[in-house]
Amino acid sequence: MSLSSALSIAQSALLTTSRQTSVVTRNVSDASNPDYSRRIATVVSTAPGARSVDIQRATNAQLFRQNLAALSAWSGQSTLSSGLDRLQIAVNGVDNATSASTAIGNLQNALQLYATSPSNQNLGASVVETARQAVRSLNEGTTAIQAFRTDMDSQISNAVGQLNDLLVQFEGANKAIISGTRSGTDVSDALDKRDALLKKIAEYVPISTYTRGDNDMVVTTADGTMLFETVPRSVSFTPSPGYGPTTTGATVYIDNVPISSGSGGNSEATGKLAGFLQLRDGVASTMQNQLDEIARGLIDAFAEKAPPLADMAGLFTWQGGPAVPTTLEPGLAGTIRINAAVDPSQGGNVNLVRDGGINGAGYVKNTTGGASYSELLIGYGDRLDTPMTFSPAAGIAATSSVTSFSSNAIGWFESIRQQATTLADTKEALASRSAEALSNETGVNVDMEMSLMLDLEHTYQASARLMSTIDQMLNALLEAV
Amino acid sequence: MKAVSVSSSAVSNAMRYSQTRMQVDLVKAQKELDSGKVADIGLTLGANTSQSVNFHRDLDRLNSIVDSNALVSSRLKSTQDALGQIVSAAQSLLSSMTVASSGDMPDSVAAESGRSALQSLTSMLNASLNGEYLFAGTNTDVRPINDYSAASSPAKAAFDAAFLARFGFAQNDPAAANISAADMDDFLTNDVTPQFMGAGWQANWSNATDQQIVSRIALNETTGTSVSANQEGLRKIAMAAAIVTEAFSGNLSSAAKNAAAAKALALAGEAISDLGQLQSQTGIVQNRVSAASERINTQVDLFERHIIDLEGVDPYEAANRVNDLMSHIQTSFALTARIQQLSLLNYLT
Repeated sequence: MSLSSALSIAQSALLTTSRQTSVVTRNVSDASNPDYSRRIATVVSTAPGARSVDIQRATNAQLFRQNLAALSAWSGQSTLSSGLDRLQIAVNGVDNATSASTAIGNLQNALQLYATSPSNQNLGASVVETARQAVRSLNEGTTAIQAFRTDMDSQISNAVGQLNDLLVQFEGANKAIISGTRSGTDVSDALDKRDALLKKIAEYVPISTYTRGDNDMVVTTADGTMLFETVPRSVSFTPSPGYGPTTTGATVYIDNVPISSGSGGNSEATGKLAGFLQLRDGVASTMQNQLDEIARGLIDAFAEKAPPLADMAGLFTWQGGPAVPTTLEPGLAGTIRINAAVDPSQGGNVNLVRDGGINGAGYVKNTTGGASYSELLIGYGDRLDTPMTFSPAAGIAATSSVTSFSSNAIGWFESIRQQATTLADTKEALASRSAEALSNETGVNVDMEMSLMLDLEHTYQASARLMSTIDQMLNALLEAV
Repeated sequence: MKAVSVSSSAVSNAMRYSQTRMQVDLVKAQKELDSGKVADIGLTLGANTSQSVNFHRDLDRLNSIVDSNALVSSRLKSTQDALGQIVSAAQSLLSSMTVASSGDMPDSVAAESGRSALQSLTSMLNASLNGEYLFAGTNTDVRPINDYSAASSPAKAAFDAAFLARFGFAQNDPAAANISAADMDDFLTNDVTPQFMGAGWQANWSNATDQQIVSRIALNETTGTSVSANQEGLRKIAMAAAIVTEAFSGNLSSAAKNAAAAKALALAGEAISDLGQLQSQTGIVQNRVSAASERINTQVDLFERHIIDLEGVDPYEAANRVNDLMSHIQTSFALTARIQQLSLLNYLT
């Protein structure tokens, strides 16, 4: 051993320390980046006295997977929950003020008043006005639901675009990792980037991953459809330009396999895409069916009946009138309207509601023409409360009166919304907890890094002191010579 | 090397999630404190929301029935008043006929008592409320009774025609003095009675329908709530008054007049008992309506209580919750500020 070898050891110590310092600096600078994983500079001794620094990246694969799953579940559920909030306001209004149920209640009250003084034309006109409110509620509900579906459709289209972009970026990051791993360079930054991309992808679709040789990653959806393998698989979707009650939306294909949408309030919809699909095809379509059935119930309750003549649409009529619809007519709620024959604003005669005969003399009930004939009006009020059979496609008890059907529709919707909102809270909590756990495991603690920094400072100082001491010793030797 | 780890970002974000949750809850609790109802009925009740919707609608409906019952009650009350006045008109006719049949009353006074009974009957039967004729059956936009004293009265014309057809001369013809009591009685029974009790009533006197106005007085209860001018008692009193008017204004013999007075007396007596029955029937309906209103009001109270049970919040609990949340939020603010100061950096020089 010689002084010169001591000098070179001190030199290598300086080099090691400065590399460690650079890792500490990097950690501190990224302390608040949630996608950054802490780097650990491990010192490895090679030859006697020689040391090299190996950089490792803190990971916890299990927590990371858990975090991805929680993210997917939460993003699906919160998509559903916020979509339902929007639908509620758009269709039923604040405190259900614009709901069909409220409108039917008002109509019943107006009928009751009119039946008490049937000779008062103003009360008749107010029956027609409240009927118009009911029509408006159904018409506007249909418009709102279809606008909502159109919006969901374009959201799906956007999400599919973003997902494809993310997969392309993922390919770049994955390639960098493979080539870096093969050439043995530090790929930590690329790994960070790839993990960040995975988190983003997980918000759209639930994913599972596995890693092959050279750190090459394969990404599939939770149900096994290939999303990425060496190259990104295409996610395809054909948006529909505008939705009507009869429009069936296109589905999303990943690698030509259709993805499944969720159902129910506790949605198994994981990921935004499934949430959007559930809103567009499940909830909104069922709501439309319900409105259609309410419209049919109204037309039926006010139909003019005079056997053996066929039943004919009365106060309310529709596109296919004057026949009375007997089964679920898609889009009926959008086309229901006040019969022009009784609508004063269209030159109609309000008294026809009281006397019957909208569809001709055969249907007149008030044969004596008395101005205070109220039996038909009372009968209409009763028929609103008479059970009828509704289509099971509306998702509510099949036999009920149109009034209770309309309030059950609200109950049906609110039960889904309640469940969806509660679960969105729970799933959000899970996502935030698992992110916290992951961050604790792989994130940076600045205090820790700073204390490490103090150690490094000491080592550096000691090494530098050694060098200067060796220098002095060499000088002393040279002077002596 | 380190068993337990915590990252700096976890430390500084620890409060963030619960912070936002608490603030959301605070907004809700404030709303609840303010309105006394749960902040979002749908989220609180879920599927039970339909119950609350039904309660609200039924409540509105019951209230509207109570309102319309008030209208029905006022119609029935006016009807009852009018019936009472018709009864007193019938009674005064009855007493004047009692006097007239003993011959102590001048003809003109007797004829006048008939006319005035007829007039008050007509005006009472033509009474209206809110633009609806009370006694018109369902035909409430047409005056139910034609005025007998009007020049063009078809009833008067029919009576005169019947008299002429039977006897060959008019009431004020001198020959009328020769009509015997039996002839008169026969005329009244066979010619005049059909004009009131038969088809002649609807043809000449009344425009009312037999059909009553039907009203819903409770959710599942409907009843007739008007009295038609075609009721028998009313026809009888009209007939009695018309006979008196005609018999005592012509040139009839006193025997014929007495026969007419006796007939009128009998009719007025029957009419009073019929009217009494009509009054009590109307009273029963009045009673039903007010009982229904009372019942509905009890239901309304019950429904309101149910609604409060469903949607209401305890204001004290809500106030406590607001206070709790505010102090929690303050604590977590204070903690966040302290944690931010807690850093090794502050001790490194």
